[in-house]
Amino acid sequence: MKIKNIILLLPPHIWINCLTILLCGSAMSQEIKTLPDWSGVWERYEGNGGMFDIATTKPPEGRAGSLGVRQFPPLTEFWEKKYTHNLDLVALDRLPDPISICGTPAGYPRLLALPDVYEFIVREEKTWIITENGPNIMRIYTDGRALPGINERWPTYTGESVGSWDQGVLVFTTVSMIGEKNTVLDRSGLTLSDQAEISTRMFLNEEGLLRAELSIIDPIALTKPWNVIRHFRKLPSGTRIFDYACAENNRNPITSSGKTLTLGPDGIPIDVNFD
Amino acid sequence: MIFNKSYLLNTICIFLLLTFSQFTFAHHSSAMFDKNEIRTLTATVKEFQWANPHVWIQIYIVNSDDRREEWSIEGIGINTLFRRGWRPNSFIAGDIIEISFNPMLDGSNAGAFIGAKFQDGKILGKWE
Repeated sequence: MKIKNIILLLPPHIWINCLTILLCGSAMSQEIKTLPDWSGVWERYEGNGGMFDIATTKPPEGRAGSLGVRQFPPLTEFWEKKYTHNLDLVALDRLPDPISICGTPAGYPRLLALPDVYEFIVREEKTWIITENGPNIMRIYTDGRALPGINERWPTYTGESVGSWDQGVLVFTTVSMIGEKNTVLDRSGLTLSDQAEISTRMFLNEEGLLRAELSIIDPIALTKPWNVIRHFRKLPSGTRIFDYACAENNRNPITSSGKTLTLGPDGIPIDVNFD
Repeated sequence: MIFNKSYLLNTICIFLLLTFSQFTFAHHSSAMFDKNEIRTLTATVKEFQWANPHVWIQIYIVNSDDRREEWSIEGIGINTLFRRGWRPNSFIAGDIIEISFNPMLDGSNAGAFIGAKFQDGKILGKWE
C-alpha cells in the first residue's frame, strides 16, 4: 500500500493533531530564529570609572569616587540631600560602598556599569546577565509569566524582572530592588529607594554595540522618570572570562567609619593613620 | 579582507583603551593615593601576588639612608590584567625593575601601580 493511501485512511483527529504540531513547531522555530545573537564576551562602553549616568555627569570626564564628581538625576529635594551627604562622605574617603566589603552583589541597575566583562545568555524563556565582577547574575524571564505578587516578593539585589521580545529588542520591567539599604549606583554615592521600578530595552544597535535604555521611576527618590543609556562593546572572539573572588586576597578592608585601609603582606595596616 | 567600519572603530577603541587607560580600582576607593604625584623607583621584586581583587607587587627599594625598604604596589584585578597581557609570572622574585606609581597620600610604603620597565626592555602598564 502506498504512503499516500495510508495518509488518506487516517482519522480526522490524527490529521488535526499533526497539523497543530506542524504549525506550532514552525512558529516556535521561527521565534527562536528571531532571537538576537548576544553571544561572546562584552565590556562596558562608557568609562568614567563607573559613573552610572554619563549624560548628566559633571564634569563630563569626571570619574566615580573623585572629588566633586556627580550626576544630576531628577532627584526629590529629600533625596538630593541624601546624595549631597554621600558626596561629602566621598570627599572624606568615608563612603561605604557595599561592593568594597566583598560579599554582596552590585545589584541592578549598577551591574550595567561595572568593570571587567559581561556575558548575555539569551534563551527564548529567559535571559541571563552575568558579570565577571561579581557576584552578579541577573535573570530576566520572558516565558510569559507575570511579576510576582506583592506578598511573594521582597527587596533583592537584582530584583524581579519579567519581559518579552519585540523584534530583537528585549523589553523588561524590574521591581523589588533593595535600593539604598545595601546598594549604590556608583561610587559617587547615588542611590535609589526600594520603590524604584525600571523599564529596560536592550538591543544591538547599528554600530554593533549592545544598547540598554533605562527609564527609571521612583516615587520617593525621583520627581520624574530618569532616562539612562548604557552600551556594551563586544570583545574579540576567544576572549576569556574568569572567576572573580573578591575576598581571595582583599588587602583593603573597610573600617567601621568607612575608611579604606591598605594592608601589608603580613595583614597589618600600612596606613600611617587610621581609625 | 573586508573591514566593517564599526568593527574597525571598535577595534581601535579597544586598542586605545587597553594601551593608554589608567587603572581604575573597581573594588574600593582610590582616595588614599596621590593621583597628582608619580614616583618612579628602581626596585627588586620580592613577591608577585596574582589574585583578585587586586594584584600586589611586593618590592624592595634602597632608601636615601642606604637601607632596604619593602613597598606594596597595588594593581587592578587579575582578570582584566590577563586580557591586557599580564600573566601569573609577569613579575618574578629577583627581577630588577623600574616601577612607577601614585604614592599614598599619608607617605606610607605603598602605591597604585602605573607601569614597570624590566631590564630586557619589557614594559607592563603605562610607561613614558
